[in-house]
Amino acid sequence: MKKMILILMMSLSLVASLKKGDKEVEFKLPGLYNSSTVVDSQSLKGKVVLLNMWASWCSGCQHEMPLFVKLQKSYNKKDFEIVLVNIDTHKENGIDFLESVDPDKVLTALYDQTKYLPKTYKVPGMPTSLLIDKDGTIVDVYIGSFDEESIKKLQKEIELLTKSSK
Amino acid sequence: MKKTAIIIFVSILFAGCSDKLVRVMPYEKEYFAQDKMNLSPIELRGEQEGHIFLIREASAGGESSFQGGCGCR
Repeated sequence: MKKMILILMMSLSLVASLKKGDKEVEFKLPGLYNSSTVVDSQSLKGKVVLLNMWASWCSGCQHEMPLFVKLQKSYNKKDFEIVLVNIDTHKENGIDFLESVDPDKVLTALYDQTKYLPKTYKVPGMPTSLLIDKDGTIVDVYIGSFDEESIKKLQKEIELLTKSSK
Repeated sequence: MKKTAIIIFVSILFAGCSDKLVRVMPYEKEYFAQDKMNLSPIELRGEQEGHIFLIREASAGGESSFQGGCGCR
């Protein structure tokens, strides 16, 4: 019986997905606007990061983008950075949309052509955002888009994380 | 006992495979999000279709008060 339970648990672990407390997946992705600029996940260590996986065809992603612009403007990028990972097949669609909501290019936009991050994280919905602490640990997972209310809650969490020494 | 364990293990493994093969993952739904993939594409041209229907049938006074039901428009 013990063996059976062990086998069952091992099998379930094979289909496990994204959860709090996990370490973030290492990545190296080109910029959405300029592919010669490559951003490494290592370079984001030491600051609180909101990693958002989005696409221009996803209505929820379009909805939350202006909120992200507003949020990023209220923080110094040294403390908190919103990193957008676009997964459009044609990156021009992503650029067109992002330029319309973020003309000043406040948000850090990366392009994941192979959909490596959503595949690795096995995201259960679009958009999905991960709040990552200074250590590179996933503190919170947000499936679906943010609204005015939820972004306030997120802001409180960011405040706590940016103040903590860890 | 061992046989049962193997059966359970294999069935769970296969269930995992079938899930991955059949299910369209959220990040793969780009083409599903297109307008043409709407479940009722006729809805988009509903107004136009309604207008044509009313003229053809000539059974009512058209879609608005100024349209006649004579079938001549």
